[in-house]
Amino acid sequence: MSSDPNQTPATPPGHNDVLGHVDSPPTLIMVWVAVLALFGLTVALSSSGMFGKYTLFVQLAIGTVQAGLVAYHFMHLRHGDRVVVLTALASIFWMGILFVLFMSDYMSRSRVMG
Amino acid sequence: MTTAVTSVMPKIAPPPPEPAPAEPNYLNINYSLWSWLTTVDHKRIGILYLVSITVFFLAGGIAAGIVRLNLLAPDGAIVSEDAYNRAFTAHGVLMLFFFLIPAVPAVLGNFLIPMMIGAKDLAFPKLNLASWYVFLVGAMFGVWAILAGGIDTGWTLYPPYSSRSSTSNVVPGVFGVFISGFSSIMTGLNIMVTVHKMRAPGMTWGRLPLFVWSLYATSLIQLLGTPVIAITTVLLMVERVAGIGIFDPLIGGDPVLFQHLFWFYSHPAVYIMILPGMGVVSEVLTCFSRKNIFGYHAVAWSSMGIAVVGFMLWAHHMFVAGISFYSALLFSFLSMLVAVPSAIKVFNWTGTLYKGSITFQAPMLFALGFVVLFVIGGLTGLFLATLGTDIHLHDTYFVVAHFHFVMVGGMVLGYMAGLHFWWPKMTGRMYSDWWSRVAAAIIIVGFFLTFVPQFVMGYHGMPRRYPNYPQEFHVYNVMSTAGASILGLGYLLPVFYLTLSLFFGKKATGNPWSATGLEWQSPSPPPLFNFDEAHMPVVVCGPYEYALGIDQMGRGLPEGPGLGSANDPSDKHGESAAPGPMNKETHVVG
Ligand code: HEM
Ligand SMILES: [Cu+2]
Repeated sequence: MSSDPNQTPATPPGHNDVLGHVDSPPTLIMVWVAVLALFGLTVALSSSGMFGKYTLFVQLAIGTVQAGLVAYHFMHLRHGDRVVVLTALASIFWMGILFVLFMSDYMSRSRVMG
Repeated sequence: MTTAVTSVMPKIAPPPPEPAPAEPNYLNINYSLWSWLTTVDHKRIGILYLVSITVFFLAGGIAAGIVRLNLLAPDGAIVSEDAYNRAFTAHGVLMLFFFLIPAVPAVLGNFLIPMMIGAKDLAFPKLNLASWYVFLVGAMFGVWAILAGGIDTGWTLYPPYSSRSSTSNVVPGVFGVFISGFSSIMTGLNIMVTVHKMRAPGMTWGRLPLFVWSLYATSLIQLLGTPVIAITTVLLMVERVAGIGIFDPLIGGDPVLFQHLFWFYSHPAVYIMILPGMGVVSEVLTCFSRKNIFGYHAVAWSSMGIAVVGFMLWAHHMFVAGISFYSALLFSFLSMLVAVPSAIKVFNWTGTLYKGSITFQAPMLFALGFVVLFVIGGLTGLFLATLGTDIHLHDTYFVVAHFHFVMVGGMVLGYMAGLHFWWPKMTGRMYSDWWSRVAAAIIIVGFFLTFVPQFVMGYHGMPRRYPNYPQEFHVYNVMSTAGASILGLGYLLPVFYLTLSLFFGKKATGNPWSATGLEWQSPSPPPLFNFDEAHMPVVVCGPYEYALGIDQMGRGLPEGPGLGSANDPSDKHGESAAPGPMNKETHVVG
């Protein structure tokens, strides 16, 4: 990183510094395996028809758990300070805008006006 | 707040001495091609972007030329109907994804954000270089799609036509858009982190130049919106390649879903295109009217307001696509809301001009053009956002005229204003004052002639994207094509005089416009790390203290060469001249 002019030479590993606490490889591998296992579960569910018309909801729930694992471990939310966690939550809120306004169309489309 | 300034000036620190020309500066430090291709200097990367997007602007312009020439005759003057479809698609894709979106953020933003906030570089210099390479890879796919025969879906890529029926090169084109999106995310991320983490001492949020605020808001949209278009394009490719039903109703998909997802990005994307232009205009208008901005906080917050509200109105593009009537009402209402922050900006710019000491150099002409054309574009946006009128106007030339007023009249003029304003800083050379003013005038005249007739045609029902039209529209189309050729000439002029200025232009001083921002405190062109290591800037006041005649470090402004221009030899020789501080008595209002 010698060519990087912004690197202040001696940054003490502060609490905000990701390098300060590296996740151990076993943890990372376990999380990875868990995410893959959940993926397998989703695929299996789609052909088993176990939950009938609710399959989609179950699959979406699994997907949420997967995304949560990735965010918490791989994206280091685990080590994030409050601002980082708030930012992550804000992006979920923003996705809420997408879904709510989507639904304003899909849920009222069949209503007849007047 | 309100400081009445009369001709008696308070004693302030003297203007800084002209900084010694940096030896070496960022341009002459190394001439090898390799040093350019591996540079992590934000200024050089800005130049790399400048060169690449200029190429795409010319390519997109050629496509536009084909479209306009073909419309000279009611049943197609030069190309087949199929080729016509491919020409307007190429025009849209090139201009939007490969020119307008990167134009100001990646060229001027890259170059100026670190300088404006008093930093040595962006937060992630290598990511910055990576973003340029990713952009090029994406662009190569786009070019491949076009050279292999083009795409005929329109830039909006609506399925099921794009996924089922079209035989054109949809996949490489869409893949190019997908890839270049990541470059946009990288630039946005970089700018955002830089603004948060690397401001010079004293550069509080309330003292940031408005250009920085507007690019901050833009970055927010880039970060939040672009992933959605990435997913959408992937879904489209999956459907087209693997036949998995997502959007195509024949295989269980929903075509309206595509439009929702597409516009959820693409409406905010129009603000990615306009917000940076608004930032440029705030800088230029204050400098060339020698006034503080009217309502700094209102202008800064309206950028953020546009960024946030801009995410909630996408379905105004879909009023006649079969969405729910109630939802359409809601989106029509929400679309009205976004006019509020836009109007706040316009009123504040007008307030800034009021009783200023205005001079009309090229950047100012472009910026004034921006304001006028953006007002027209924005107001016609309201016509379209009104549910009832849109049913009549949707997919007509009225829409085409609307968005060209905001994108070409607004953003391209904003980009030109910025390029002309900062060109001396970027290159160390002044360009021809006379030719640049002529170019601005030609561009604005050509613009009106091209797009005003389109409003009329559209109102009378000429649909967009049709190669043929009834005889009654002939005269309007001829006018529009004539205007487009004037416009094209206007765009070619800067290519010449700016290039010539590199070799023959007068050497620019550090602060040729006598402006207040930190970027003017280093020599032109700047040294590798922007500022003298020993004297990193310390900010003591807001960004536009023109009335007080001080820069952001609290020092006096140099006399611009334009002061008392009657006896100024540079003026007579057609060089650019600056207004200088306090050209005449200035009344400060607000
Ligand atoms: C005052 C704010 C604005 C409002 C209320 C507004 C409203 C609209 C509406 C309702 C449409 C859809 C018309 C139709 O297809 O029937 C539209 C189209 C469009 N607008 Fe705006 N607009 C605004 C500002 C802008 C800005 C700032 C830009 C770009 C810089 C822009 C770019 C576009 C584009 C590209 C389209 C056409 C997209 C397409 O179908 O190809 N608009 N606008
Ligand atoms: Cu829109």
